Amino acid sequence: MTARRLLGAYVAVVMLFLALPIAVVIPSAFGEGNALAFPPQGFSLKWFAAILERPALLAAAANSAAIAAVATGVSLVVGTLSAFALRRYAFPGRGALMALFMAPLVFPAIVLAAAIAMVLAPMGLVRNFWGLVLAHIVVVLPYVVRTVSATLAEVDRAWEEAALTLGASPWRGFTSVTLPLLRPGLVAGATFSLIISFDEFTISLFLVGSGMMTLPIEMYNYAEYSLDPVLAAVSTLLILLTTAAVLAVERTVGLGKQFS
Amino acid sequence: MNAKGVALLGVAKWYGKVPAVQGVDLEVAPGEMVSLLGPSGCGKTTTLRMIAGLEVPDAGEIRIGGTRANEVPPWRRNIGMVFQNYALFPHKTVAENIGYGLVMRRRPRAEIATRVADAMRQVRLEGLEDRIPSQLSGGQRQRVALARALVTRPDVLLFDEPLAALDRKLREQMQVEIRLLQREVGITTIFVTHDQDEALTLSDRIVVMEEGRIVQAGTPDEIYERPRSHFVSDFIGMMNAMRGTATGQGAGGLLVRLAGGRELAVPEAAAATGSAVEIMLRPEKVQVNPPQAEGLVLAQGRVAHIVYLGAVTYLHVTVEGGATMLAMQANGQGMPAPRLGDAVTLGWRAADMVCFAAP
Repeated sequence: MTARRLLGAYVAVVMLFLALPIAVVIPSAFGEGNALAFPPQGFSLKWFAAILERPALLAAAANSAAIAAVATGVSLVVGTLSAFALRRYAFPGRGALMALFMAPLVFPAIVLAAAIAMVLAPMGLVRNFWGLVLAHIVVVLPYVVRTVSATLAEVDRAWEEAALTLGASPWRGFTSVTLPLLRPGLVAGATFSLIISFDEFTISLFLVGSGMMTLPIEMYNYAEYSLDPVLAAVSTLLILLTTAAVLAVERTVGLGKQFS
Repeated sequence: MNAKGVALLGVAKWYGKVPAVQGVDLEVAPGEMVSLLGPSGCGKTTTLRMIAGLEVPDAGEIRIGGTRANEVPPWRRNIGMVFQNYALFPHKTVAENIGYGLVMRRRPRAEIATRVADAMRQVRLEGLEDRIPSQLSGGQRQRVALARALVTRPDVLLFDEPLAALDRKLREQMQVEIRLLQREVGITTIFVTHDQDEALTLSDRIVVMEEGRIVQAGTPDEIYERPRSHFVSDFIGMMNAMRGTATGQGAGGLLVRLAGGRELAVPEAAAATGSAVEIMLRPEKVQVNPPQAEGLVLAQGRVAHIVYLGAVTYLHVTVEGGATMLAMQANGQGMPAPRLGDAVTLGWRAADMVCFAAP
């Protein structure tokens, strides 16, 4: 009994520790004072309204959203095709290729960042939208390959073969049988990809510059000269958005399955 | 229904360096139902998949309706296939599953609706249109798979061990249903199975395969009564096997000297003198204490073991020379049932013996 209570207490402490930043940030966004303070003084929504008066933050948010969307779109197509090749066909070097696709997951981000910057700089792709998109694809692709190939493992070859014998060309069989069955993996992969790209800091730091900022880096720059609750307001919005996205995925396809 | 025949001419397939099918010649007449029977790994499924177009032969020719089909992809072959475990689309309803082939053929929506409804009536699935496969029983899934394969009016219907997942009673019921439906529709059908009872129940003709080759093809009674090898006779049903040496032709047929020293004459058999042969005798041909012993081959023995199976009883009888013979008695025929240890006389007609080279 005491062991159980001890475990319960331990879990509570860990949860508290994990949730603490959120517990601090969200109330701070609703304060009336001019400085980032906890506990906040009074209640107001003015800092949310103030976001609209920070064009640099808005522009960076738009960039981040566009980068995340394009990187996710490309990753879904490339990742699905890669997952297909890796799962369905045996070919020499398959293991190595699979390791290569997963490498960005385990590589130190800073090393990857330096390497990507060294490749993109001579090509003129620094401080460039497409350079950031390319870099983000490298980062998010493993997540898409992973979620899609996990789902693909559940798609029986016999279903695709049945479609062929019933008169479906491989393409029509793919769109009418395989793709709908891959939907949970695609939705989960896309969600991860959007969140990770939007939140990406280390690699983007090497590639941004005046005129091409991403939101996390713009927020960091902002914090360097003014620590007002606008940052807390932006953070609160991001938390809400992320939570909503994860909940939506959980409701539709069950996120837990993607980690089993 | 304009049924088309199927012909295989010297068809072969390798997986890497392993031969899966080694030169199969087979002709299936329009409207005929043929079983490919054999143990796992004998090449029966690969053969079926080549007919479906899911595998491409490395050698030989596949003809459907008299024209070469090797280069025709599966989606243009106009076949229907029922897969092992049915392969029903899990995200589609019963009606959508059955209608899939018609949608792929771009039939008008109204026609699809009527034909799906007809097919569902044919396999007695009315009222289950909107279920999804996971909500169906094994027998119902089987029927959906059958309806899905038949609704497109294919030239050839292919089955890949479709009944393996069902329990025995349901399997026997489905065998009869499939056979009746096949006759009614008159479609050329090729059925892969490793279950000899299934092959006997379903087929006009049975093709027994071993190690990628056809070892014997014939009607169910030919295969059962006149097997040409130990493999075939052993695979289809139970057998008494008596090893011996051919000693030449006598008045009663091929003379065979058994290991125990006894000489038997096997009618309508031939083998080189001095060669090792095996005599095969089905257990149900062996009478126990025959009332009319005249004209029978007789053997004296003692009952060593009894297997009572309800409708029939198998007696294991140790005969002179120490060999064990298996005799099957139908129960309920008023025959006195021998007990363990009883001395019995076994008798069988010489013509019921089949002789082939010893394995």
